[in-house]
Amino acid sequence: MDPTASTPSTTATVRRPTSTRFTRGLGVAVIVGAAWVALFGLVLSPNDALQKTGVRILYIHVPSAWLAYLAFIVTGISSAGYLWKRTRSLVWDRVAGASAEVGVLFMGITLVTGSLWGSITWGTYWTWDSRLTTTAFLFVTYIGYLAVRGLGGTLHQRARRSAILALFAVLEVPLVHFSVKWWRPLHQNESVAEGELEDMMLFTLFSGIVTFTLLYVWLVIHRQRTLALDDSVAEHGLDAALAERRQEALQ
Amino acid sequence: MDLSPREAVPTAVGKPRKRPWLAVGVLVAVLAGAGVLVFKFLTNAVDYYCNVDEIGVKDGCDVGRSIRIQGVVDQGSVTGEGLNFVISYNGQSMPVVVGSKPTGIFSECVPVVVSGKVVENADGRVFEGREVIVKHDNQYDAENADRLAQGEAEAAACLRKD
Repeated sequence: MDPTASTPSTTATVRRPTSTRFTRGLGVAVIVGAAWVALFGLVLSPNDALQKTGVRILYIHVPSAWLAYLAFIVTGISSAGYLWKRTRSLVWDRVAGASAEVGVLFMGITLVTGSLWGSITWGTYWTWDSRLTTTAFLFVTYIGYLAVRGLGGTLHQRARRSAILALFAVLEVPLVHFSVKWWRPLHQNESVAEGELEDMMLFTLFSGIVTFTLLYVWLVIHRQRTLALDDSVAEHGLDAALAERRQEALQ
Repeated sequence: MDLSPREAVPTAVGKPRKRPWLAVGVLVAVLAGAGVLVFKFLTNAVDYYCNVDEIGVKDGCDVGRSIRIQGVVDQGSVTGEGLNFVISYNGQSMPVVVGSKPTGIFSECVPVVVSGKVVENADGRVFEGREVIVKHDNQYDAENADRLAQGEAEAAACLRKD
């Protein structure tokens, strides 16, 4: 028997791209959407009567916030998918992790763009308003979630503890969303659902939300695939080490 | 007796992270950050949020107490490059004096929130403000929308003549 026959190093040469025809098409749609939003956001949509050109920040800020909410909700649903015995699979865990990473990125963008908009409109970059504070808390919570994922242990240990945390963390999303109703905030109420936006502004904002949603799908698909490759390396790396030790024992 | 080594089987027991200390460090920073956020939010919430008409009427909106007051800047009331102005809400007015010029989209007829306290002097009550923040509602109108509407109306009238 050849003890090297099962050495998994041979699998390292197998090409496993993270893109497919679907994701390549999706990527093209995102690029077209981004150009569309830039055209409408920077050129075709009008200035606001009070904020002047500062209103254009909203075309990034609002879609980023929406994307972050979506990402954290998907993380919560995927975590439940992992914890439920019938559907237990590391695929759920990887989707949860990928979605949380994308969510943290866009929550950060939401905070930065909101701060810039606040400086132009409110006259301050930051205030301890209920919406701002709960948003920052949500951001910090999911950075913590990502840190918990990196604590080590087996893949299933990682999946279990982060899934439990995600189910608690997702409860913060409605807290952030409804904070403008439950407290007396400086931050305005929902601009899209309840506000009155000039038609072209609303159209531009809607275009941004659609484009950011496509971008989210593209990012999560790719990231969960690279996470799968990471996990595969972690597994096969150990197998290769074991095979090496076995070979040493036979010599 | 078969002493040949067992086949290597795919394992899921490998440790995917080589540097858990980094994650532990981030986690400690996150917990500290979350603590600071909660503390700042709660201590800031101590400043009661009052409308102009609630001063001296509503519990917590007392004279001499550190509060945040909300009202709309009266037209023609802004003097001293924004250091003095009057705000009104629900028919009640309050003169405001601030130490630094308000920024943002501060102007007459916009709603503002001023942090500070109400003091009483010989001229009556004055709000001594530390910070002025402009409040913006969720209504967004195009700049010069009136001119656009007028242009569209004139264009429509012109078409009807044809």
